[in-house]
Amino acid sequence: MAEEKINRRGMIRMTAAGAAAVAGLRLVRKASASGPEGESPHSWAMVIDQSRCTGCEYCVNSCQAHNDINPDMRWNRVIEQNDVTGEESVYLSRPCMHCENPPCKNVCMVGATYVRPDGIVMMDYDKCIGCRYCEVACPYYARVFNWETFEGDNPFVPEWGQPEIERRVRGVVEKCSFCYQRIDRGLALGLMPGVDKEATPACVVVCPVGARNFGDLNDPESKVSQLLTTRPHYQLRNDLGTGPRVYYLPAQEEGVGI
Amino acid sequence: MIAAIRSFKLRPVHVWMGILAITTGIGAVAGIIVFAEGLYLTNLTDLVPWGLWITIDLSSIALSAGAFSLCAIVYILGIKKYQPVARTATYIGLIGYTMAMFTLLLDIGRPERFWHYLVYWNTHSVLWEVSMCLTLYLTVLLLETLPIIGGIDFVRSRWPKLSARLEHVHHYAPFLAVAGLFLSMLHQSSLGATFGVIIAKPIWYRPGLSVLFIISAVAGGISLTVLLSMLASRLDRKIKVKDELLESLALVVGWILVGYLYFRFWDAFSMTYTYEPGRTEGLALLTRGPLALNFWLGEIIIGALIPIILLLNPRTRSLPWVRMLALAMVVGGVVAYRWDTTLAGSMVILTYTPNAIRTLYTTYVPSLIEILAGGGVIAFGMLAITIGMQYFNIVDHAEAQPEPVQEEVYALGSAD
Repeated sequence: MAEEKINRRGMIRMTAAGAAAVAGLRLVRKASASGPEGESPHSWAMVIDQSRCTGCEYCVNSCQAHNDINPDMRWNRVIEQNDVTGEESVYLSRPCMHCENPPCKNVCMVGATYVRPDGIVMMDYDKCIGCRYCEVACPYYARVFNWETFEGDNPFVPEWGQPEIERRVRGVVEKCSFCYQRIDRGLALGLMPGVDKEATPACVVVCPVGARNFGDLNDPESKVSQLLTTRPHYQLRNDLGTGPRVYYLPAQEEGVGI
Repeated sequence: MIAAIRSFKLRPVHVWMGILAITTGIGAVAGIIVFAEGLYLTNLTDLVPWGLWITIDLSSIALSAGAFSLCAIVYILGIKKYQPVARTATYIGLIGYTMAMFTLLLDIGRPERFWHYLVYWNTHSVLWEVSMCLTLYLTVLLLETLPIIGGIDFVRSRWPKLSARLEHVHHYAPFLAVAGLFLSMLHQSSLGATFGVIIAKPIWYRPGLSVLFIISAVAGGISLTVLLSMLASRLDRKIKVKDELLESLALVVGWILVGYLYFRFWDAFSMTYTYEPGRTEGLALLTRGPLALNFWLGEIIIGALIPIILLLNPRTRSLPWVRMLALAMVVGGVVAYRWDTTLAGSMVILTYTPNAIRTLYTTYVPSLIEILAGGGVIAFGMLAITIGMQYFNIVDHAEAQPEPVQEEVYALGSAD
C-alpha cells in the first residue's frame, strides 16, 4: 500500500501540470483577443431630438437596409408615448445606447461584446455562441437574437439603401453598431462622422426632420456637443449606472427633470 | 452468450428502460431538428430568451449537488460510513452534469462553438466562471466514477489490468473531494449569481440568490441520491442498502431545508418593505400572479414545509414510503424554484421610458419541440441512472469497500 500513497513530489508534479495547462490556455486567449487596443481621439454619441421626431420610422427602415437585418428583427425601434398633456404623441426612437459600462459586455461568457476605444459597443459575431445572456442583461432590450436563418431578398433594399456589412449567421445575438462601417470607412477617407453623410450612421442621414444627430463628444464644436451644452437633455435609465451614449432632447423642456 | 440470451427474461425494468430509450430517441430527433432548423422552433423570444431548457439545465446541476456534498462528508469530514452513498451520488452527479451539457448545447444558437469559453475568456462573466467550473467538475466526476466502471464485473473479468487501474483512481478520492467541493461551491452559487447580477431585472438583482441556490441544491442533491437509493432497493431485491445511513441523511436534508426556508422567507419578505419597479411586480407574479400555485404549493408547501415536518419527525421519517415521498417533494421543490426564478425575471418587462417607468408582462409556454427535446434529456438521465443501478452496482451498501483511504488522509495532512 505504501507505494500508492500520494507523496509531495507527486502533488507538486500535478500542480505544475495544471499551472502549465492554465498558462497555455492564457497564451491562446491572448493571441485571439479581439477588439482594437489603445486609444481613440473620438468619443461618439448620438443626440435624438424628441421635439422633432414624428415617428415616421425612416431610421428603422434605413437601418434594416444598410445593416442587412432580418425583417423579423429590429436594431432600432420607435416607441410611441403620450406626452405629459396626453394630447400629442411623443416618439422615442431607440438605437443601442452604447453604454460606457454595458451590462451586456460584462456578462458575455466568451467576450463577444467589447467596447471600442471610441465608445462603440461592438459584437464579434464569430465569437458569439448564442447563449442570449446579453439579451437578458440589457435594460433597453436593444439586443435581438437571430432565431431564424435570413435567406432571400431584404425587403428594405434597395429602396432604403444598400447592405454595407455581411449578413450574420443564424444563432447569434445582434445589435446596433452606430454603423461602425460607415464611421471607419469615412474616417479612412478623411471624412468627419456627423458632418459628412457618408461617414454618419444611416439612421441619422435618413431622418427627414433632423431629429437624429451624431458626432464626437471630444470635439466641443461638434453638433452633439453644442446641443448638449445648450439644450436640456436626458439619458435612458442612467440610474442603472450604464452611462448611455445616446442622449435625448425632450419634446417639451419641462419634460426634463427625470 | 447464447446461454445468456436463452436465460433472458423480460422483467419490468426492461420495459421501463425501453420506454426511456424511446423517449430519449424522440428527444434526440427533436434536438437534431433544432440544430438543423434553428431556435425559432421554440417559443422563446427576445423578451423571454431563457425558458424550459435553462430550467432543466439549472435543475440537473442543482440535483447533482449530492455528489460534492457527500464526497465532502466522506473524504473531508471523514465520516467514512457514508462512502457507499457518496458512490451513488457521484454517479448521479456525472449523469446530471452530462444532462446539463446536453441541454446547454440545445439552448445555444451556435452549438458548434460551445468550446469558445475555453479559449475566449471573459473573467468578468459569472457564466464563464460557471462554464469553466462545470468543465473542470465534470472531469472530477469522471475521475471519481472510474473506480465504479473498473468495478463492473464485465470489465473486471475481461480486462483485469484495466480494471485495477481504474479502481486505483479511488486512492485520489480525498483530493478529488477537495477539488469537487471548491468547484461546486463556486458554480452552484454562481448559477444564482447568474440571475443575481442582472441589474435590468430587479426581481433577480439581489445577493441572496447565490446563497439560496447552493442551499437548495445541497438539499435537493442529497434528497435525490437517498430517494433513488431507496427506490432501487425496493424495486430490485438484489440491491442492498443500509437504511440507517439513508435515514440519517434524510434527517440532514430536513435541517438543511429549515435553513433554506429561513433564508427564503427573509429574502422574499424583505422585498415587500418598499415599492421598487419591476421587483414588486415580479414578487407579485410569484405570490399572487400566474406563478402563485407553483410558488406557494410547489416551492413552499410541498417543496419545503411538508418535507421538513415529515423528515424531522422520527416517526414519519422511519416509514420508508413516507420518507421517499418527502424526498421526492424536496426534489420537486428545487425544480419549481429554478423554474419560478427564470420566469419571474423574464415575464416582467420594465420599460425604459422616461418619467413613466412602467411594468408590462409577457408570457411563455414551451413549444412541443422544447418539451420533446427537454423530455429526451430527462429520459436519458433516468435511463443512465437505471443502467447504473442494474449493471454498475452504483447502489450497493453491502459490498466491502477497500479502505486505503485512511493513508491518503494522512498524506494529505502531511503535505501542508
